[in-house]
Amino acid sequence: MVEDRLVTMQIWDTAGQERFQSLGVAFYRGADCCVLVFDVTAQNTFKSLEGWRDEFLIQASPRDPENFPFVVIGNKIDLENRAVSAKRAQGWCHGKGDIPYFETSAKEAINVEQAFQTVAKNALAQEPEVGMYNEFPDQIKLTSEQNKPREGCGC
Amino acid sequence: MLVTPSLLSAAKAVYSVSLIRAASAFFSLVNCLIQCKLLPVKQISEEAVTRKFVHEESSSITSLCGAVEACLLHGLKKRALGLFKHGTTTALLQKLSKHYEPAGQVLKIVNEIETNNDPTRFSKLFQHGVIQHKHNNSRPPTIYEEDTNLNRVEYPTSSTESTKSPSKGTSYSMLVLQRVFEAFPYLKSLDSGKAQPKKTLPSYSPKYLWLRIAIFEKQLAKILDYLVQNNSKYYEADALIADPVDGPILASLLVGPCALDYTKMKTTDHFWTDPPADELVQRHRIHSGATHHLAGPGSPKRPGLQQVRRHTSSSSEESMKGQHISAKEYVESLHQNSKNTLLYGKNNVLVQPKEDVEALPGYLSLHQSAEGLTIKWTPNQLMNGCYEDKEDDFDRRSIYKRYYQPPEVSNILYWDYALTIYVDEIVYIHCHQQPDCGGTIVLVGQDGVQRPPIHFPKGGHLLAFLSCLENGLLPHGQLDPPLWSQRGKGKVFPKMRRKGNKIPTKEGSTSSSSTDEEEATDYVFRIVATFKPDNIPPEMLDPKLNVKMDNFPWPFQNVDPIPPSQSTMQSYARAQEEQNNSCLSRVAANHSRATIKQLCDTMKNQIISRAFYGWLAHCRHLKTVRTHLSGLVHHSIVSPTHPCNANLGLTPEKWQEICQDGKIANPDELYRLVYYGGVTHEIRKEVWPYLLDSSHPETLPEESSTAGTTPTAERKWSSREIYNYAPKADHDTQTEVDNAEHCDSEGNDVPDSSPDDGLGDSIARPGSLPDRSKLDSAGDSESTDASKLTHDGSLDRDRGIIVTKTSIDSAGVDDDLSGGESGEAQRLSQSQDLNEVPEDEEPNDKKNDNMTNSTGSENARHLSASKESLISPASPASNGGIYSPELLDNVALNLHRIDKDVQRCDRNYWYFTPANLDKLRNIMCTYVWEHLDIGYVQGMCDLVAPLLVIFDDEALTYSCFCELMKRMAYNFPHGGAMDNHFANMRSLIQILDSELFEHMHQNGDYTHFYFCYRWFLLDFKRELVYDDVFCVWETIWAAKHISSAHFVLFIALALVEYYRDIILDNNMDFTDIIKFFNEMAERHNAKQVLKISRELVLRIQTLIENK
Repeated sequence: MVEDRLVTMQIWDTAGQERFQSLGVAFYRGADCCVLVFDVTAQNTFKSLEGWRDEFLIQASPRDPENFPFVVIGNKIDLENRAVSAKRAQGWCHGKGDIPYFETSAKEAINVEQAFQTVAKNALAQEPEVGMYNEFPDQIKLTSEQNKPREGCGC
Repeated sequence: MLVTPSLLSAAKAVYSVSLIRAASAFFSLVNCLIQCKLLPVKQISEEAVTRKFVHEESSSITSLCGAVEACLLHGLKKRALGLFKHGTTTALLQKLSKHYEPAGQVLKIVNEIETNNDPTRFSKLFQHGVIQHKHNNSRPPTIYEEDTNLNRVEYPTSSTESTKSPSKGTSYSMLVLQRVFEAFPYLKSLDSGKAQPKKTLPSYSPKYLWLRIAIFEKQLAKILDYLVQNNSKYYEADALIADPVDGPILASLLVGPCALDYTKMKTTDHFWTDPPADELVQRHRIHSGATHHLAGPGSPKRPGLQQVRRHTSSSSEESMKGQHISAKEYVESLHQNSKNTLLYGKNNVLVQPKEDVEALPGYLSLHQSAEGLTIKWTPNQLMNGCYEDKEDDFDRRSIYKRYYQPPEVSNILYWDYALTIYVDEIVYIHCHQQPDCGGTIVLVGQDGVQRPPIHFPKGGHLLAFLSCLENGLLPHGQLDPPLWSQRGKGKVFPKMRRKGNKIPTKEGSTSSSSTDEEEATDYVFRIVATFKPDNIPPEMLDPKLNVKMDNFPWPFQNVDPIPPSQSTMQSYARAQEEQNNSCLSRVAANHSRATIKQLCDTMKNQIISRAFYGWLAHCRHLKTVRTHLSGLVHHSIVSPTHPCNANLGLTPEKWQEICQDGKIANPDELYRLVYYGGVTHEIRKEVWPYLLDSSHPETLPEESSTAGTTPTAERKWSSREIYNYAPKADHDTQTEVDNAEHCDSEGNDVPDSSPDDGLGDSIARPGSLPDRSKLDSAGDSESTDASKLTHDGSLDRDRGIIVTKTSIDSAGVDDDLSGGESGEAQRLSQSQDLNEVPEDEEPNDKKNDNMTNSTGSENARHLSASKESLISPASPASNGGIYSPELLDNVALNLHRIDKDVQRCDRNYWYFTPANLDKLRNIMCTYVWEHLDIGYVQGMCDLVAPLLVIFDDEALTYSCFCELMKRMAYNFPHGGAMDNHFANMRSLIQILDSELFEHMHQNGDYTHFYFCYRWFLLDFKRELVYDDVFCVWETIWAAKHISSAHFVLFIALALVEYYRDIILDNNMDFTDIIKFFNEMAERHNAKQVLKISRELVLRIQTLIENK
């Protein structure tokens, strides 16, 4: 539910393993928003964000890559052993054109709702009124590497 | 406020659809303001009737609450009651609760909700408002826009209620009302009030909360009744509640809504989204049940090739197809959906479909879609048949169900009777009205053919239908003469001032055909494509001329009693026909005989050439099949019934016959039995190794199992070793920081999930009891060979030393890492090495005597050796047992992945206890260790799992998995097989089901068949439940020898074909189809699918054989 509008989100969770990246092409295309998820307890997953973002932009080739809505999520904040500080992640997001950044715990359901609200909002903002008179209900395709607590990050 | 007494009865009457007419009649008398009160009531009841229950969050409830609120506020003694601070009536409730028990109850619930601050409730409420909004999108805007304007203009509002009427909110109520008005257009005038109580969006504030609760708790009527009785206490004398007439009426009005049951259940109506897969299947089942296809949804009925043939041969199938499609369309199209708008629906409309059949009651509906307007009439019998097993999912439809108990009738007959009339084809509408019955419409097509007359029941339904039709025709067409809009009355029949013969027949004229009955009125309307003012007589442009004297509903009595010209209509129709005919004949007459002959010749040539091209296309088709697809199947067809019926599959008895002394006497027979009937579950464990080990089916299973044990153990050890030391090696070399971190995190992660997996623990684990005892026993059995293999033994010692070294280094470098632990690890690893040596000799022993091929390690090694660019540990001889840091990185990464996936593998399946997951992990690690070039790819665990479930034995599972992977490995990314599969699927669908193929092409997106990806990757493991996976797998294995080495393709094709009609009917695109199959996972009818797959193979085989 975003600004009075019911939004049906179609969320594609792409395969975590980069072996399947070739598959991504089919799913990236036509996406309205891309959610990049990393594991706050694993440095490397954060470092891979850049790569995933580039990969997405190349594969999905959105019309306006500069303003394509991304959302970055640092997951697993329920765990003690943080390896990526919020500040650092925030900084990265800022550097990429103020990508919204959320710290979530899928396990504890912290902030997930808010993150996806933002996802939907930003995706909708991309096409203001077009959806209203579409024949089909709005479909928002999202891409997220993973958002389950126990899943490792495939980044 | 003025309320007529009849309101009361109306409010009650309105609860039954049969009484709606009565209600509507008196609506016309109701004062405008009270409508704002009444209409929500009507909406609710309407909703209740059509849906059987009303959703709590229905917009009607909101409207009603708004109206009640307004009434309650009217003349409320705010000051006296100290309520002036509150805009709402909640304070009133608080006052009331002290004196009146029901109010107290309600207040209690309200307080509970407020204190709990139940967010879901309100988020849901909020949600609903927007869903309504969404519904709106699918409606053609013209229709209700017109209504709104009409009503707003004609009814300036004067309610006490604020006239905010947010435009957003009204749209849905418009929608609801639209439905009402479609049926009762003369009610349109009444809905002016609807905009007023609508505060749809604001109302989601808890403002109306108590009213809602009171309604749901069925107390509101009581409370209001109490208020009315004690009005002096709370209300000014001029208040609505205090009014001696209005007050009680208001209270009694609410009796109805309070008697209804409300539900919080979301119905499909509330989410106008794509129906879930389940529902699609069910829907399909219903309409396929209505036709002859009872075999299952969409057994491949109209394969493409037959279709091609049909063009050249008979057309009988065409009609079959037509019937089938219309049957489906009926079910689909009778419902409102995003592509099809229901403009009008009326049940119990009589139609005499055939001359020898008496008139049947049925459901008449008017639909608007992109293609235009369609009038449908469906006999009640069909409606019943259709909705027999529908429960509440489709409330809108359940209206039909309510009336008729489903009789057991053969529906096929009725499908013939059902009418579908495209309004585009209709030129004239003849209306006959008799006072004794409601009225009849005869639709006359362009060809002059009259459609079966439609008899409307009494009560203005005919007019309602016509006005809906007229609305639907806009903006591209209209009725000629148009219906007249009348102030306060909605649409009425046009009145013609007849001036002798002045009105040309073409304009459509009125006439009262039956001379003996004064009131009977007949009309002929013409459907004209565009608005042509010229066509309309001037008097019609000014309806006011006659309107003033009109009485609702039928104003025709006032029509000038001009004696009708002899059955005007008929003569008119006849004239029309004649005109058409004369046109034709004129054309014909202009040609001489010679030209006709010429014409015939040309036509003949064309027909012949078309036939030829058709035939040519067919030939090309077959050629494609042969060249492209013949490789997919075996050319010899193995009979399912010879030498014996194989449908029972491989039973233990049969197995005893075939397998004598561990040798397979007749492998072909084995395969045949398995292919057609599967294997009895109990003997799967014995049979599967034979089925999988294709090259040597006669190998003894005993041998393979003993042979399997030790190499597995060895690999397990070696993988363990790497598993333990790789992270430290990373640190040591410092080559890849990222990977090191990765491994670190692994070390950190794992202890959380299972303490057993921690770094320290896993080091200690090799010494744990079960492993050791197993190894010891294995070692015992093989120890005799130990002396032979000094060469290999030294190799292994090398390995051990090197690994240990790195660990020492790492312990030195990484002081923060618990040095003591790694020291211990080192010690342990050395002890491991000691243990390991005798075991390690064993596989080499096997390698030396090339007797065993069952493990498949031989082939795999060759494979890996040839393909591997990295130094593979699988061929230790080539690198002298030295492991490069990159290799260790690689292994560590793989192991990390395996760990993650193993934990997640089928955690809900009973078999996968932690102990068995451990087995799975061992097998997986061993495999990856041996095939590091392939590495671990997500999904491999899924392939091991069913094998492990069957064998429950690590070694045997491992060797069988290796066999399985010989084929499957190529499916994994970079294997290249997936693209081939997709290409083959494409060709197969093109050949076997051109209709589906076309559909896929239209939706271009999914010609790449990504929705099949998981099917092929995992051999349908994730699509089916375990028992079915077993069946499908063994069939695939057997099929390799019986019919096709690419049997998976045919299973995939069978799955697509099984649901082809659903895919086609719902016009699924790429995402729809992925979603559909995702939802259908583990719910397929595997038996049926297998059967279809075998049939498909057979079809391809026969195609090829035919040449």
